[in-house]
Amino acid sequence: MGMDKQESVKKLFTAQSAKVDTNRGDAYYEALYAKCQERLDALKKLTPLNNRRDFMTTIEDEGLERRDFLKWASATTAMLMLPASFTPLVAEAATLMNRVPVIWIELSDCAGNSEALLRSDGPKIDEIILDIISLEFHETLQAASGHQAEKQMEEAMEHFKGKYLLFVEGAVPLGMDGQFGTIGAKGETFVDHLHRAAEGAAAVVAVGSCATYGGIPAAAPNPTDAVGVMDVVKGKPIINIPACPANPSNMVGVILHFVLTGSIPELDSLLRPKFAFGYRIHDNCERRAHFDAGEYVEEWGDEGAKNNFCLYKMGCKGPMTFNNCSIIRYNEGVNWPIGVGRGCIGCSEPDFWDKYAYERPMANANIKAPTGGVEKTVDQFGLGLLTAAGIGIGIHAAASAIAGKKEHEKEEA
Amino acid sequence: MAKDGYTKVKRMTPAMRIIHWVNVISMIVAVATGLYIAAPYYQTLIAEPAVDKYVMAWNRWGHFIVAIIFDVTSIIVAYLFFFSRFEKPYKKILPTGKNIKEFVEVFMNLITLNRRKNFDSSHSDSFNTVYFTIFHLLLAWMLFTGLQMYVHGLASGESSIGAWWPAMLHLVTDWTIPVSGWMVGSGPTPSIMDVRISHHITMWLIITWVVFHIYYQVWRTIFWQEGDIAIVVGGTKFVKSDEKK
Ligand code: HEM
Ligand code: SF4
Ligand code: SF4
Repeated sequence: MGMDKQESVKKLFTAQSAKVDTNRGDAYYEALYAKCQERLDALKKLTPLNNRRDFMTTIEDEGLERRDFLKWASATTAMLMLPASFTPLVAEAATLMNRVPVIWIELSDCAGNSEALLRSDGPKIDEIILDIISLEFHETLQAASGHQAEKQMEEAMEHFKGKYLLFVEGAVPLGMDGQFGTIGAKGETFVDHLHRAAEGAAAVVAVGSCATYGGIPAAAPNPTDAVGVMDVVKGKPIINIPACPANPSNMVGVILHFVLTGSIPELDSLLRPKFAFGYRIHDNCERRAHFDAGEYVEEWGDEGAKNNFCLYKMGCKGPMTFNNCSIIRYNEGVNWPIGVGRGCIGCSEPDFWDKYAYERPMANANIKAPTGGVEKTVDQFGLGLLTAAGIGIGIHAAASAIAGKKEHEKEEA
Repeated sequence: MAKDGYTKVKRMTPAMRIIHWVNVISMIVAVATGLYIAAPYYQTLIAEPAVDKYVMAWNRWGHFIVAIIFDVTSIIVAYLFFFSRFEKPYKKILPTGKNIKEFVEVFMNLITLNRRKNFDSSHSDSFNTVYFTIFHLLLAWMLFTGLQMYVHGLASGESSIGAWWPAMLHLVTDWTIPVSGWMVGSGPTPSIMDVRISHHITMWLIITWVVFHIYYQVWRTIFWQEGDIAIVVGGTKFVKSDEKK
């Protein structure tokens, strides 16, 4: 589906490990520093676009102190794998976030990523930054609708041609010529809408697992033939920020990186930024000692659960999932899924709904046969195979024994 | 010593027999530890803090050790397959007229319950060779998918023996992701879980293979009356002298 042959062969041999070279030598970082400074100076000269809120006053309005902000800036510098000397630049870039135009479109989605971005309950710096970005167009958030909204989008696309970042939330339904999803007064299909918006974008950022791989809409039996942005948009830099929802810190990381350097961060083979998806949940999980010891929660609320045992047998997919939530957590480091006592459902991996989220170890979960029909666990399938072989062998053995006996009688007679 | 009317024939060299039994032991360990890794099936009843008992860690360690043994024996077997000075098995799987005829005859012998036996059973026949080749292909698939799962743990791209090791593993095993995705059935983007599902299902195929293998060798021994089962112990079997051509 989707991908043509040449493309898939190319993909086969280009998967990169998550390794990010964090020490490229002084010469490299000096050059990068100069480049970033130049870019920030250029951005400073631009007047803010739609969003004229001043960053520092907003921070103060929210009751945060400058010290909080500086702490955030040094943590974010580390997250982006830059040397500590870049901290002032990162801080400055944050205040210039409203200079980079963002167009945000929604396709087959639940708006969960917009929700994550706008989390209003005591916004922290990541969320404030996302408040400050120059959101030139966002269907759910803007007041305009119908023809007016369409006009606004066209104007934004025209005005910022080649400069804006296109954020896409939601999968792209391709079935029935895309008629499963239409938008706007003209009833444009989601595919066409995406192509039109991507045309003039500097880069396309797919936020959330639906935009990245098709996600929930693409879960079996995928009635709308939904796929991810990277299966549709070609010839543009694409950055995937999967997870359900994408962590606001990682969205900020990508935008900051773009504001700071004018380029997209280093990506892995699934086009996810390595600074965020270069870690395996399992390797940074606080329950790992219990995993190695063989101490597992056997059912919700048992002694193991009370003692924070490993959630592997409750279906934790941390061993197969790459994301940084075990490190940076959610809500400014307050907690994360495994921290609150439930397993990882692999929300940042392809096909996560069908293949990771069943809350049982893979061996005990129903997996579809390749034909799409029967649902059996892999072990039931295996035991079935073995039983069939056993029956075959039994019949053959019995028949051989009877035939052998007859032969014998003949000889004796 | 051969019974009257029987001739002793050599079928497996000591090296082949050692590999066979190493594989048997490794397979038992691989299945026992693999199933534990998949869904830990016994509880650790050791009243020690987590840092002192490594039940899962030991299972994984055991699994990887037999994996390394399989790696080594597979390389030797692959070498012998083409270059053995004893019998080069690849000659028996080439689809030549002679091999196809022999294959069909041995198969007929099996399904006619030994009423018909029109082939020379003194050497390794092509039916058996094809059957063993299938085993080694399944094992090779386990190796590649296993190493793909192993490299996930080296997410940093570094390892204690250098960056070349994960880089090489990615180069050699990343193709198993789309191939597994195709076999298991995936959405537009295949996932590393497809590799894991495939690794697990292939284990069941191998177990089924083993069950039939044991049955068939015992069956041959009983019905052919040539002591086939002894091949894997002493390296020889007997054939009726008049049959030996
Ligand atoms: C040929 C015999 C083998 C059998 C029967 C076998 C069986 C299994 C099974 C049942 C699992 C559990 C998968 C699941 O989660 O459901 C497993 C996991 C695994 N196997 Fe194998 N395997 C074999 C060979 C190998 C080889 C040659 C390697 C190579 C390194 C390997 C590496 C692994 C790894 C890395 C895992 C995942 C373990 C983890 O994440 O801790 N296996 N194996
Ligand atoms: S809870 Fe999940 S991620 Fe944590 S150690 Fe257990 S299996 Fe790994
Ligand atoms: S723990 Fe797993 S499922 Fe939960 S947010 Fe992180 S990657 Fe997603």
